[in-house]
Amino acid sequence: MAQPRVLPQSKETLLQSYNKRLKDDVKSIMDNFTEIIKTAKIEDETQVSRATQGEQDNYEMHVRAANIVRAGESLMKLVSDLKQFLILNDFPSVNEAINQRNQQLRSLQEECDKKLIALRDEISIDLYELEEEYYSSSYSLCDSNDLPLCEAYWRQDFASLSPESLSMPLAAAAAEQSVVTSQSSTPSHPHVNGHGAGPAEHS
Amino acid sequence: MAGFGVANERLRALEELEREIGASLQSAGSVILELSKEKPQERHLDRQAAQFGAAVAKVEAELSAQIRYLTQVATGQPHEGSSYAARKSCQLALNRLDYARRRLGELARAYEVMLE
Repeated sequence: MAQPRVLPQSKETLLQSYNKRLKDDVKSIMDNFTEIIKTAKIEDETQVSRATQGEQDNYEMHVRAANIVRAGESLMKLVSDLKQFLILNDFPSVNEAINQRNQQLRSLQEECDKKLIALRDEISIDLYELEEEYYSSSYSLCDSNDLPLCEAYWRQDFASLSPESLSMPLAAAAAEQSVVTSQSSTPSHPHVNGHGAGPAEHS
Repeated sequence: MAGFGVANERLRALEELEREIGASLQSAGSVILELSKEKPQERHLDRQAAQFGAAVAKVEAELSAQIRYLTQVATGQPHEGSSYAARKSCQLALNRLDYARRRLGELARAYEVMLE
């Protein structure tokens, strides 16, 4: 058994008005239709002449038919109002709609992030190979002003980089290259960038 | 959308009721039309009258049910739920993707320029 709900007066009144409209319109349709059927019956005895009675019946039927149509249109308006009320106040379905939308958006976001992470992993592998190639080539042997590949690329975007942040990778790169240089006898094939001042061995 | 099941079901039921109201008026009109003939056919009359009665009864019953359901679920408060947060996160994810695509495009263009 449903517990008695305490609705705001306006909503309670509104729903009661919907009920009333429904009952009135259905009653109007049924009554007018019944009266039309009754009026269609031809009486043998009439108070006025048959022609007058016929005219009267004709007019009455027109009015009742118009009443039926008006009641039908009123029912359509009631259905429209109910649709609007449903969209605004049917919280279970609104909640479900919101949850489903959130789910869709979240899954789309996760898919985007998954693709980005996969892309990042692939690029880091390629970057590793590129750095291997670069640091084993002759173009990495040069002066200490040479930047690591990633630093050289990022420098195009960031105009100001602190010297401290540069010196660390520089020192690391220089130390690494000095080991590689001492072991390599021939310079590798010319790098596309032509970075650096040519093969210069650090000893 | 296929996802909004319950909400659309009730709205579709109400649309079906609108069609039913139209059908009931049409049945009433065909009954009156049949009565206006010189020799109305009883079977046709009875069928149309039964259809009219059934349609009106169905409309009344289903509309009453909808109003009863609304009496149970309506709270009188505005709904404050929103999917804005999820939409914003998704938009940011799409922006990240777009940014990554642009950067890769720039890298590819830089590579082509250097190849030339």
